[in-house]
Amino acid sequence: MGKNLLTPEMSALRPDLGKAVSILEGKAPYGAVSLSSREYTRYLVDNNQERVIPGEPTAGVIFSAFDGHTMREKGIGGFNRDELLKAAGDFVSGFSFGKNGKLDPGVERIEDFQTEMENDPALVSTQDKLDYLREMNQRVKNIDSRIVNARVSFLEMREKTVYRNRAVDLAQDVQRVHMSIMVTAMGEKGVVMDWTTKCGSAGLEILSFSDEELEKLVKNAVGLLSAERIEPGEYSVVTAPGVSGVIAHESFGHGVETDMFVKERAKAANYIGKRVGSELVNIYDDPGYPGAFGSYFFDDEGLPSKSTQIVKDGIFVRGITDFFSATKLEIERSPNGRRQDFTRKVYPRMTNTYFGSGDMSLDDLIGQVDDGIYIPKISSGMEDPKGWGIQVSGHYGFEIKNGVLTDKMYAPVGLTGYVPEVLESISAVSNDFDLSGGYCGKGTKETVPVTDGGPHLLMKVRLG
Amino acid sequence: MLGKIQKALSDNSAIKAWIIRHETIHGFQQYELKTSTESQREINSELYMVDVLCDSTNGEAKPGSGLGTVSILPGGDIESAIEKAVLTAQLVHNDPYDFAEPTSIQDIDLVDNEYLKDPSAKIQGLLNTLKETTSAFPHVRLTAAECFGEEKYTHLISSKGINVTQNDTQVYLQWVYIGGSGDEEVESFAEVYRRRIEDLDLDEEAALRAKYTSDLLEAEGPPSYEGPIYVQGPTLAVMVAGEMLAGSLIQTLSSAALKYSGETPWDIGKTIFREEVKGDDLNLWANRQLPYGVPSSAFDKEGIPAQRIALVEDNKLAAFIADQRFADYLDMQPSGDFGSVEIPGGSISQSELKTEPHIEIAEFSWFNPSPVTGDFACEIRLGYIVEDGKKKPFKGGMLVGNLLDALADMRWSKETGFYGNYLGPKAALFNNLKVVG
Repeated sequence: MGKNLLTPEMSALRPDLGKAVSILEGKAPYGAVSLSSREYTRYLVDNNQERVIPGEPTAGVIFSAFDGHTMREKGIGGFNRDELLKAAGDFVSGFSFGKNGKLDPGVERIEDFQTEMENDPALVSTQDKLDYLREMNQRVKNIDSRIVNARVSFLEMREKTVYRNRAVDLAQDVQRVHMSIMVTAMGEKGVVMDWTTKCGSAGLEILSFSDEELEKLVKNAVGLLSAERIEPGEYSVVTAPGVSGVIAHESFGHGVETDMFVKERAKAANYIGKRVGSELVNIYDDPGYPGAFGSYFFDDEGLPSKSTQIVKDGIFVRGITDFFSATKLEIERSPNGRRQDFTRKVYPRMTNTYFGSGDMSLDDLIGQVDDGIYIPKISSGMEDPKGWGIQVSGHYGFEIKNGVLTDKMYAPVGLTGYVPEVLESISAVSNDFDLSGGYCGKGTKETVPVTDGGPHLLMKVRLG
Repeated sequence: MLGKIQKALSDNSAIKAWIIRHETIHGFQQYELKTSTESQREINSELYMVDVLCDSTNGEAKPGSGLGTVSILPGGDIESAIEKAVLTAQLVHNDPYDFAEPTSIQDIDLVDNEYLKDPSAKIQGLLNTLKETTSAFPHVRLTAAECFGEEKYTHLISSKGINVTQNDTQVYLQWVYIGGSGDEEVESFAEVYRRRIEDLDLDEEAALRAKYTSDLLEAEGPPSYEGPIYVQGPTLAVMVAGEMLAGSLIQTLSSAALKYSGETPWDIGKTIFREEVKGDDLNLWANRQLPYGVPSSAFDKEGIPAQRIALVEDNKLAAFIADQRFADYLDMQPSGDFGSVEIPGGSISQSELKTEPHIEIAEFSWFNPSPVTGDFACEIRLGYIVEDGKKKPFKGGMLVGNLLDALADMRWSKETGFYGNYLGPKAALFNNLKVVG
C-alpha cells in the first residue's frame, strides 16, 4: 500500500464497513457501502492575476441497497464512525425489498491501488506550482505582441474511494492532473483564443511544454484573427486524434451507455451484431488505460477495470454498463459504473474512449486528399443516441490541397452527419494514437473526467 | 463550529479580511424507468467555506493582495485549514483590493414553500403529475424521468461586518418521450431547472415535448436556406441567456475581469454590436433580484447584495459585471454575480412575427456559440419550414451565423415568458440567418 492511500477519517471507518454491509443485507438482497472523497484545486496565472481556487470538496458515505428492481441509496456528508452502523440500520428500516438471489457481488478480492507518480502534486509546494505557472505565462506572452492574455491553469484532482460489499473490499487513490494554456488575441474581428492541454492520471511529470508547442499555439491563436468561415458543404476531412475521439464519444460512446438501452433512448440497441461503420472502425472504452485522465482501478461499483471493445471491424458488439442496467438487460457487466461524487447516483459512463489505430502513416493519409479540410481541434460535441445525428464543433480547420496541408485557416468548423454514414465514410486510419482529456456530462449534470482519442481518420462529412 | 472558525480567523494577525460561508443541503432524488422506480436517493451535506485576504509581495517587493480559500467539513481541523489558506494567500500576488463592505440586503423570493412542506412527497407527486399529463398524449410514451429537489441554507459572515442568511430551493426535472416504433423511433428529451415546482409549467412543457416527438416522426431532411428564422420559448432563452448553469456570450463579454485583462472588445457607452442595428434596439438587464430566478440570490459568495443592473441600453454597454476585486481595480461599483437575463417585450405580437416564408428552429442539439466571438454552427434537432400556411418539420442540418450579428438584426415579440434564467420576449424573428442542409 502506498502512503496516504486514504484520509485518516476514511481509514478509521473502513474496518466497520463489513458490518454495515451485513446490516444492509439483513433486509436487502444486495448491499454495499462506499466511501468517497473528491478534492480538487485549480491554480491560475495570467497576465493580470493569480489565483488558487480549491473546489468544494465532496466527502461522504454512500449506502446502497438493491433488489434488482430499485436501487435505494443514501449519501451522508462526512465520515462519522460513531453513527455509521446506526445510519445503515435506519436507512434500510423504512424500505421493503423483493427477494433476488442473482445479484452477484463479484469475485472475492481485497486490494488497494494508487496512481503511480514520479512527482506527486501533494508533495510539491504551492509556491513551486505558482512559480511554474508564472514561468509558463512569461514564455507564452513574450512570443507575440498581439497576445493580450496568456492564461495558464493547472488542476489537481484527488479521488479516494473505498468500495465494500460481501465479496470485495477495495480502495483506490487516483491522482489526476490537467494543465491548460489559453491564449487570447485581439484584432479587428474582436477577440479570438486558442488553447493547448496536457492531462493524465499521473503526477506533475507529464506537464511540460516545448517551445515548439507554445509557438504553434500562439501562431494558431493569431491566425484565427484572419480565419475565414468555411463554405458549407460536404468535404473530405482528416480528423486529428482528439477530434476522432470526440466522434467516437458522441457516436458509440453516449449512445451505448446501457442506461440508454433500458430507457429506450439508444438506436444502437437494435444494432447489436450489425454493421454500423466501415471495416476500419474499431472503438474501445478502457478505464484501465495506463496514465489516461479518465482511468481508474475499479469503478464506483467495485468492478475492476478492463477494456471493452464496443465496435469491432465496423460491427457493433456491446455497450458499457453499470450494475443496474446490466442487471435489467441480463448482460455481462463492464466496469463503467461511475458517479460524479457521493451526492449523485451511478450511471454507465465512458472513461477513455477511442478508435483503434490503423497501419497508414499520417503523411500517406493526407496525401490521399486532393481538396479537403484538416480539423486539429474541437471545442465541443453533442450526442443524439436515438436519432444518430452528430454535432462536433471544430475550433478551426486547415485547407488540404493536392495532398498537402496548407496554412489557410477556417473557423469555426461545424461537423454534422448521420452516425452510420459518417463511420461508413471512414476510408483511412493512421498508425498514430493520442488521447485528449476533458469532462463529460449526462445532460447538463453528472460531470466525470474522460479522454477521447485514437488515430487520424479520413472521412467524408458535412461541414458548416 | 462557525464560532470557532470565526474566532480562529479573528485571532490570526496575518489575515487582513475574511469571509465564512456555511452551507447545508438536504436533497431528494428519484429516478423513474417506464412504470417503475429505478432509484431513490436522499442526500445530506454540510460545508464551511473560508476566504482569507492577506498582504503579499511579489519578487520585486511590490505590495499586493492574495486570496486563500479552504473548505472545512464538520468536525474538520480548523487550525490547519486556516494555516493552509493563509499560506496560499501570502504566495498569491495580485494588485491590492479588499473584501466587500456591508450594505443592506434585500429579501429575494427563492423558496418553494409548498415543496418544503413534504419534499419527498412533492418529488413523487411531480413525477405522478408528469405521468398523468403524458397519458393525454397517446402517440408518445414516457420511458424515463429524473426529479431532484434541494433545499439549501447559507449563512455568510465576514470580518467587514456582513452577517446574512438565505434559504433557497431548487427543483430539477428531466424526462424522455419516445414516439414511433422499431428503427423509426424518435425521442424528445426535456431538462428543466426552476426554484419552484409551479414554475416548471409542466402541462405546457409536456404538451410541447409531445408535439415535438410526433413531429420528429414526420420530419424530413434539412433544407438549404437563408432568410428569417423564428425561435421561441426555452430555445430562445438558451440562445440569449445561455445554458442554465453555464452562462452566455453576453455574460462573458460584459465581465469586468475580462475588461481588466483586455479580453473583451466592449466599452461602456459604445455599441456591443459589430454591425449597424437593423432590427429592434437591445435593452438588457443582468438581474439577480428576479423572483425565483435560478441564478438569483439575496447575496453572492462575497456578500454583495442582489442587484438589477442595466447592462445594455439602446445597444450600448451601460455597465460591466464586477465582483469586489475588479470593481476596485476599475473604479466602479461592484455588482456581484450576473443573475438572469431580462429583456423587455417588443412591439409586435408573436403571430405578427411569423411572416411567411420562414424557418422555425424548435430545438438545437446544442446551441454553443464561441464564448468570445459568438460564431456558431449548431445542429438542428427539429425545425419547421413555414410557407403557404403550412408547417413542415425537418431535422438535421446546421444553423450558421454569429450571435451578436443575429441580435443586431431581429425583432422581439410583445409577449414575455420566464424560463429560469431568462425573463423576456417569448419569441424572436432573426431576419437573416443561414441553414446548411
